[in-house]
Amino acid sequence: MSPDPVPKPLLRRRHFLGGLAALPLMATPRAFALGKYQRIVSLDYALASTLLSIGAKPLGVASLADWNRWVVDPVMPRGVVDIGSSWEVNFELLASLEPDLVLTTPYLEALRPRHESFAPVLSIPVYNGDGKPVLPAAYKATETLGDHIGLGAEARAFLADADHRFAACRERLAGTTDSVLLINIMDPRHARIFGAPGLYHGVLERIGIANAWTGSGNYWGFRTIGIEELVEFGHPDTRLFAFEPLPREVMPKLETSPIWQALPAARSGRFEVLPGVLMFGMVREAMRFANIITDRLLRT
Amino acid sequence: MKAFDARASFIGPAILTVALLAAALAIAWPQFSASPLASANVPPMARILFFDAALPRMATALIAGAALSLSGALFQQVLRNPLASPTTLGVSAGASLALALASLYAPALMAFGGDLVALAGSAIAGGLVFLVGARKGFSPFTLVLSGMVISLWCGALSAILVLLNDRYLVGLFIWGSGSLAQNSWQVPVGLLPKVLALVVLAFLLARPLALIELGDEGARALGLPLAWLRAAAIGIAVALSALVTSAVGVIGFVGLVAPILARLTGARRPVSFLLWSGCIGAALLFLADEAVQRAAGASENFLPTGAVMAVLGSPLLLVLLPRLKTRHRVLAPSLPMSDFAVPGYVAAAFLILALTVAVWLGRDAAAGWSFADPLALRTLLPLRLPRVLAALAAGAMLAIAGVILQRLTGNEMASPEVLGISAGATLGMAVALYWVIEPSLTVQIAAASVGAGAVLAAMALLGMRAQFAPERVLLAGIALGALADAIVSFLTASGDPRALFLMRWMSGSTYMVDMNTALSLLGAGTILILTALAMRRWLDLLPLGPAPAQSLGISLGRTRLALYGAAALLTAAATLAVGPLSFVGLMAPHLAREFGLKRAVPHMAGAACIGGGLMVLADWLGRTLIFPYQIPAGLLSALLGAPFLILLLGRRS
Repeated sequence: MSPDPVPKPLLRRRHFLGGLAALPLMATPRAFALGKYQRIVSLDYALASTLLSIGAKPLGVASLADWNRWVVDPVMPRGVVDIGSSWEVNFELLASLEPDLVLTTPYLEALRPRHESFAPVLSIPVYNGDGKPVLPAAYKATETLGDHIGLGAEARAFLADADHRFAACRERLAGTTDSVLLINIMDPRHARIFGAPGLYHGVLERIGIANAWTGSGNYWGFRTIGIEELVEFGHPDTRLFAFEPLPREVMPKLETSPIWQALPAARSGRFEVLPGVLMFGMVREAMRFANIITDRLLRT
Repeated sequence: MKAFDARASFIGPAILTVALLAAALAIAWPQFSASPLASANVPPMARILFFDAALPRMATALIAGAALSLSGALFQQVLRNPLASPTTLGVSAGASLALALASLYAPALMAFGGDLVALAGSAIAGGLVFLVGARKGFSPFTLVLSGMVISLWCGALSAILVLLNDRYLVGLFIWGSGSLAQNSWQVPVGLLPKVLALVVLAFLLARPLALIELGDEGARALGLPLAWLRAAAIGIAVALSALVTSAVGVIGFVGLVAPILARLTGARRPVSFLLWSGCIGAALLFLADEAVQRAAGASENFLPTGAVMAVLGSPLLLVLLPRLKTRHRVLAPSLPMSDFAVPGYVAAAFLILALTVAVWLGRDAAAGWSFADPLALRTLLPLRLPRVLAALAAGAMLAIAGVILQRLTGNEMASPEVLGISAGATLGMAVALYWVIEPSLTVQIAAASVGAGAVLAAMALLGMRAQFAPERVLLAGIALGALADAIVSFLTASGDPRALFLMRWMSGSTYMVDMNTALSLLGAGTILILTALAMRRWLDLLPLGPAPAQSLGISLGRTRLALYGAAALLTAAATLAVGPLSFVGLMAPHLAREFGLKRAVPHMAGAACIGGGLMVLADWLGRTLIFPYQIPAGLLSALLGAPFLILLLGRRS
């Protein structure tokens, strides 16, 4: 299947995403590959989506109840058990599931001894606060995960596919001179803006789009700002994207603001709301973001 | 002479106001010099930034500063309490909690009117504080102490509620910590008419208020409806601060500082006191906000002005402590009635029931309720027992600490939280998190202990001078608590994911406790509780007042130090298990007294049973209510305890 269906917007995008999910690598639940482990629980969304992407079905995932709000894609197959929040995975439930591998991140390091009492623990760093670019770290983490569970080949195939897709997006965007600002609007006066070394910023680099926000962020690649600070980053060809979730009462208030109205990037057609993409994601989320932003940028 | 007085009372505050304004303008100068006012050919974007971001921000700072300071001045005037202010009376925090609750659970209400929600929250919080105060003849100390307690609870609860509901959205943190950033005139233009109306009302009341200065009899002779006057003035003060909170969030301590400055510079008569408080407050917040913006430009992080003000302002409480006249309050004489007969057995039975349920009854993968059979218990017991034991130990320790503090101070709002120990532990944890990104449990415990210890040492130093007079020590503790709270909210406002870790910890879950920790907690608890029981004679005598106690040969300073030390250690140990906020240390001693356990030993034993049982029950509910998710025991007991507190105070008054 060709990774770059040339867009007739929206409808084609849906097709595209549908096609993505139907790829043999991440096929229907029954076709999950058999790695070394059959009973994996994941305490992290991004690791769970990576598992699904390389063809392993987790037994349990933390905070599954909010999966469709924060992760959306890939679709979680039926039968996966919600094991409670990642901070406080339900130990009684975990004991009854009898997992053979627990996937965590260094963020939950303090709980490692407890997790180890249920199954071997694999802790994979992506967001480890060292200020290094997140996307390459996510690639490496995917390989580590694949190798560990005996799906190394699948992991590399998945990453090669990701490379293709990024390249395809880059090709499609070759004629685009737009730069972008990526924000999360928190209330009518404040936003979070995304830059280096974050995941979104890494994707922009891969697909050859400039991030108009040149200011620095924290370790995780974002920074809290007043909406008025966006003015300093308003080139005429900058487009502004806000991720869902967007609090309901925000836009009506924001639209009356003279500053907002004066932002070239906020003018109609240049400002858009994007479906949510997990900000603490890995390669699957990066691909999803690359596709979404490419489609939006091409739909002028 | 009189004319001279009037002029003198005008010159001092006027000079201060002008000086503050000049400093603010000096800092803000680059904005003006690059503005369209200074030169004609500025880029259009700079023009908009100046007119629609910089100017409205300045206007908001001026209006909010004036409103909060006038509110504080009204409180101070009417209550004759030099430490009264929207912050110290819990009014701002009440509004903040109400707004957080509304935006989480009834967003429609927010669209309808955030002002009304804030007003309701302020009124409830203020009402509670005054309810406690009324029963103690509005003693300045009691009012401020209850206000600060309510303030801390409200602040912590709203932060944690947000956390539990929205893992990546930290918007309310920012809002709650009082940012003044603007991108239109909406906020200042919306705020101004409401504030103006209240200002007019306040000044209409100023003259009658001035007459109150003559003394209640004199005022009554003039035919003034005293109670109504006071109620109206307080109503205006509450409304002023609620409006500001609803518009820009909590801005700490301006409302305390400005009136004090006004009085210090000579504005002593009511009308000029109110007037100059407002002016100084406006200039002060303007200056603070400009300084914060300048600092924010230099730093990587987002700096909300309100939180910065709180960090700078809370130490001021410590400086101001000696201004409060304190006196020891005598508890209602304790009748040597029922020793540990029936009520004691009831309390013990409650504890045993709670323990039984917590160990045996649970939910499973199918989410059905079941009593664990012996086989299942073999797996479940190692998981459940540490948490149950930790909850038991922590609950009992907090209860004993509460008994000690309440008996020592004769103050019914005294509870371990107000010692500042748990706030210190929180602060220690915050510092550790910002140095070590993924702290191990050992590092966490060490950091929390160091924080608690530092606060304890500071309290000992501060308390030494005042011979550990209970009220001084408590207020010092809570001022430190406010400082820790301010720093934490300041850190969390940057949206750093590590803030979530801190919030988790503050919500007081027994989740991290393993068997070793639980057993050492239990051991520490046993030793400390036995120590406390050994102090029973002091605890029986001290509530009678310092004089009788001294006549029986008790050295006040040393005794109090020992008792505070015991309470502090109990609190520190318990905080590690169930976090810095739970109402147990407040609830359990009260319940035990209600049961008729009034002498020190039965009081402590009963309170320990009740406290331990409550905590075990809270932990069990937290584990089962929303299975497989969990609600931290500390948070749950605080949520359950708040209505309890209201009921208790309502019934007795």
